[in-house]
Amino acid sequence: MNKALDRVVDTVDIETYLLCKDESEGKRLALQLGEELNLGTVDIMFQEFDGYGVRVRLRKYIHKPGKPYGWLSTEENGNNK
Amino acid sequence: MSKNILCVPLDPVHDVGLKLIRSALDKRGFATDLLSPDLSLEAISKKAAQKEYDFILVSRTIGYGVAEILGRFIDMLDAAGVREQAKLILGGKAITPELAAELGFDKGFGEHMQIDDLIAYLEGKERDTVIHGLQREKQDITESYTYRFLHAEIEEILNDICDTLLAWTESRYSNGVERARIREELLNTGDKSQQNHLREKYNSLCESVISDGNTKRLYPAGVRNISPEELTALDEYVTSTNPYAPLKIQHNQKHPLIFKFLGSGCPIMDLVHGKISERWGINGFLIINPSWEARYEGLLEGYLTHENDGTVTSLENIKLMKRYLDPTTLLTVRAHRGLNTPETVLLAGAAGADLTKINLVYGSLGAGTDPERLAVDGVEAIKYAARFNMPFDIPGNDELSGVPAWKTLAGLLINVMLGKKLGAKAILKPLFCYGPHIVLNGMMDQNFVDFNAAKIRALRQIVDCPIWPGEPIAFMTQSEERVQAANATSYHAALAASLGVDVVTIASTDEAYSRGPIAIASRIDTIRAVTDAFRFMGDATINPTGKADDFTTDIISKIIEVLKEVRSRKSLPEAIYHGILGDEEDGAYPGTFGKGTLKKVSPRI
Repeated sequence: MNKALDRVVDTVDIETYLLCKDESEGKRLALQLGEELNLGTVDIMFQEFDGYGVRVRLRKYIHKPGKPYGWLSTEENGNNK
Repeated sequence: MSKNILCVPLDPVHDVGLKLIRSALDKRGFATDLLSPDLSLEAISKKAAQKEYDFILVSRTIGYGVAEILGRFIDMLDAAGVREQAKLILGGKAITPELAAELGFDKGFGEHMQIDDLIAYLEGKERDTVIHGLQREKQDITESYTYRFLHAEIEEILNDICDTLLAWTESRYSNGVERARIREELLNTGDKSQQNHLREKYNSLCESVISDGNTKRLYPAGVRNISPEELTALDEYVTSTNPYAPLKIQHNQKHPLIFKFLGSGCPIMDLVHGKISERWGINGFLIINPSWEARYEGLLEGYLTHENDGTVTSLENIKLMKRYLDPTTLLTVRAHRGLNTPETVLLAGAAGADLTKINLVYGSLGAGTDPERLAVDGVEAIKYAARFNMPFDIPGNDELSGVPAWKTLAGLLINVMLGKKLGAKAILKPLFCYGPHIVLNGMMDQNFVDFNAAKIRALRQIVDCPIWPGEPIAFMTQSEERVQAANATSYHAALAASLGVDVVTIASTDEAYSRGPIAIASRIDTIRAVTDAFRFMGDATINPTGKADDFTTDIISKIIEVLKEVRSRKSLPEAIYHGILGDEEDGAYPGTFGKGTLKKVSPRI
């Protein structure tokens, strides 16, 4: 259990403001941001364009219910303490 | 001998915090001097050197450049010889013991410091400032209610409706009723061959998707057994952790208890969310089951996890929740719709759940169970609730389809009377929501207060029974924007507190986001928001406008009209089939699951 991501209970949420010319550019940048942060494809939970940029709320599920959890100490997870 | 303390507000303007501390120290017998907040470092050092102080208590919020100022201040005190006799204490926002030590202070206190912590330090005593465990008692929601009907006409109509219904259900039963009785025998026998016989009989009354799961471990998609290793790891996690410095949401004893849903699909994830939420002050949880569970005859057995929304209702899963949630935390198990209502209540009771959830009307509307089937199963379920002394809450979520509030409330009241006749205590759950009927008819164009308040006032004038707005409050007012969602929840919670209700169910700030499970951080968002709302409100109340009185009168008269129409039908199911408690125009349709499955002969196992 060495990675911080293993300790994430369920999600990593990111809230930020991206300067852009319209909503579709904002959406593209939001998804690109997830990739640049090595989170892969992120969900856009909320996006609001105000003429200058977008306020966005992004989410990446690290541990989904029913799947192996990095924070649970089982051998399957390689976390047998 | 009293100790001399110099209180130094090292802040250009604010010294109110230090004034409060000084007042407490004076009462305790310390000799304190308080400097004004506008002195230079040089002037403060000079004052500090003029008297033999035992402690110099400095208050300062940490911000840009402040560390440098504090460092200079320490140097000056050193040069003035103050440090030789006085211990230096730093307190304020963002101060930690580590930061204070790094800056050269003897002790540091953050903004959450309690005055007793400081006094213990000044008096040279040890104080265990870390509180472990939840430090609370289990609450009985129904304790102070008489269940007396206060509106004679409504009471009379409800009596007629429920007597007719109970007579109608007496000669009918279903596979759901029979399975519950078999399950009860299973719970009560230790004889292996008898158990095998009963299991065989049970599975013969299930649909194959359930019996295949129970006999061959061929489960519905996304369902699997939780491994013994996972259970051991869960046990290790829960038993090795403890709520640290637990918080309380309520600011006074009158504020409602706060519930949240659990139902990620996985009991392990639910429990981790549950344990963390308990620490933040949540008083109880509702277990939400998968939607497919309502459609199938029979329930799965075992410790089961599910990759999609809804945690499987098995005896083992409910027991797991009860075992690991705090003994003071209330747990309710949803049984209000579907083909397994009596058995669900039985399992909830057998597993030690505190409450269950039954509504014969809402459960029969919109993607629900056939009204006749649920009437029979629901009455049996209420009997189980009575036997286990489990109050049942009655969700009024049919309003979300577009059913007018008075029809929904009429349905809730039928359930209350049924409970009363069968010896079970009901809890009314009117919605605090921006439902479609409300939107279309402009009842909340002016504000969100009046109509919600009117529902509570109307119910209060009808029956002396606990009220638990839900489910969750603020439904359809929350967006996917985090702050707005938290605010909407907190405003509705403040209104609920103002109206003196008993419990509320709150959502999370990702409730409106429907593309994935609820996250724990989003749960904490709304808990914090409600905690702040209750702190803000205290004993104060929100004052609805005169329109709330008009709404209240209107709602009560329309409830009477609806109930009279129900009474005019030969049974409650027939009234539901005819749309009296919600019709197609309201977006409500009688449920079809289990249609035509009732039997007329008493079961013999």
